[in-house]
Amino acid sequence: MKHAVLFGFLLLLFVFPLFVLVGYALDPAWRYPQLFPDHIDFRSLSFLVREAGPLSRHMGGALLYSLSAVVTTLVMCYVPARILARVPFSGRNLLEGFLLAPALVPPMTFAMGLHFMFIKIGLADTLPGVILVVSMYSYPYMLRALIAGFQATGDDYVLCAENLGAGRWTRLIRIEFPMLVPSIMAGGSVVFLVAFSEYFLVFLIGGGAVPSFTGYLFPLLSSSDRSLGSALTLVFVFVPLMLFVMMEWFVGRAYRRMGLDV
Amino acid sequence: MKTQTLFLHLSPLLIPYVSLFCAGVVLAAVQSVGLWSPVPLPSGLGAAYTRLWSSPWFYEMFGFSLYVAFVSALLATGGGTLLACGIWGMPALLRRMSVIYKATLILPHIAIGFIVLVFCSQTGVLASLARLVGMITLPVQFPNILYGGNGFGLILAYTYKEIPFAILMVLGLLAGFDRRLFDCARMLGASRVRIFFRILVPSIAPAMHSAFIILFLYAFGAFDIPYLLGESKPAMLSIEVYNLYFKRDLTNRPLALAMLMLMFCFSVLFIMIYSRVVSSLTARERKL
Repeated sequence: MKHAVLFGFLLLLFVFPLFVLVGYALDPAWRYPQLFPDHIDFRSLSFLVREAGPLSRHMGGALLYSLSAVVTTLVMCYVPARILARVPFSGRNLLEGFLLAPALVPPMTFAMGLHFMFIKIGLADTLPGVILVVSMYSYPYMLRALIAGFQATGDDYVLCAENLGAGRWTRLIRIEFPMLVPSIMAGGSVVFLVAFSEYFLVFLIGGGAVPSFTGYLFPLLSSSDRSLGSALTLVFVFVPLMLFVMMEWFVGRAYRRMGLDV
Repeated sequence: MKTQTLFLHLSPLLIPYVSLFCAGVVLAAVQSVGLWSPVPLPSGLGAAYTRLWSSPWFYEMFGFSLYVAFVSALLATGGGTLLACGIWGMPALLRRMSVIYKATLILPHIAIGFIVLVFCSQTGVLASLARLVGMITLPVQFPNILYGGNGFGLILAYTYKEIPFAILMVLGLLAGFDRRLFDCARMLGASRVRIFFRILVPSIAPAMHSAFIILFLYAFGAFDIPYLLGESKPAMLSIEVYNLYFKRDLTNRPLALAMLMLMFCFSVLFIMIYSRVVSSLTARERKL
């Protein structure tokens, strides 16, 4: 009983607001003091269809720089994480602390300094500039997940494969990387979400020239049309959700094929 | 491993760290003292800092940002911990279904601000509910949560956004917790409250501390939610930085960057002191 009550509370807290947004999206005329939406009007949904071009351009742009940030942070962190997890050297904890700092300190500080530099070297208002700044802000999550992954898996399998004559690349691709996939997925999802939902950094460095979904969403959310804002917020939940479901499915299938159960 | 090889292996991270993050902070610092300004500045080097030093509004905003960040991080960590413990105690099926808490995790901060706006404004969902049960008859009678000048709207938005994060962190640690410790304590006659504080909390404390630091510093320096909810008096530091940097005279830029530098230094100091205090507390506990 008390578990059911708690579950009900979770539903109320985290899922119910989305239903209220569905209500606003379907009934633009729903407002105080009506408690429930009382008719259906497809005005907001037809806006989504009419605006499909710009909408998908902004969504595509956001997916592009977010996924690029995942790849960039993975490339940046993979080898350093292995070192930080496996090789003892003096000052390791201090170094790790420093390397995790970009996720903690206010990102505006380094972003506004970088903005100055990016203008000078021509990276401001470009996609690579946005990818770099977003990666710089979100890589600590990838680093932390990879370090934990390397610590948890140990290097026994890799050593064993080495003894059996596997080359460097075979060990990396066939042994080490597959074992780290869960950590990469965990770190990658956080990096993706941080990048995808970031508004200010993309707005500052992208300067409106780099399409982003948050940039598209913001003026609508702050306008008085709650219906449009609701519809687009729901689109915002839906796309990453689909991405995560697909990813779970693909990875699960790949693991089952290899005969592993995750 | 030789030092050279070590550096070589760390370089994919160290190079961008130094050339982007450190360089960004240094450039912000350089501009904050008044160098490399796009326009000639009327006052000398470091004038921005002396001006902040003697401005009451700066202290007021600093205090307000601290207050909003502290209260929301405390509420989110506490609430998230309780919910995580509740979810952890559920039967397997319900526990698996409880992933619904991640819905709020996916939503960007501006969308959370929007939800708070929809629910808590004076013509929002809660106001409609209050009118239905007869607590109010006119929208103005509903408490002005969002623009009341006490930061409740911001605190609500941050808490709501951050609770799932705290749940995630705490559940991660609870997954490896041995439930038999519970039964043992029960058999030895410990009360529920005692079990919670003496067994559960110490073992999830690391997750609670990291959640608190992350959430506190995020709310302290973030821009998205205050920009959307738009409470302007008193304002969060980040909003004032934005206004000074973009909306007014170019001569104000050093002032904006000086504020950012002070926020940066405060964050670094906070991390250092907090981790020092936590490690000394745990060391004392181990001695007992």
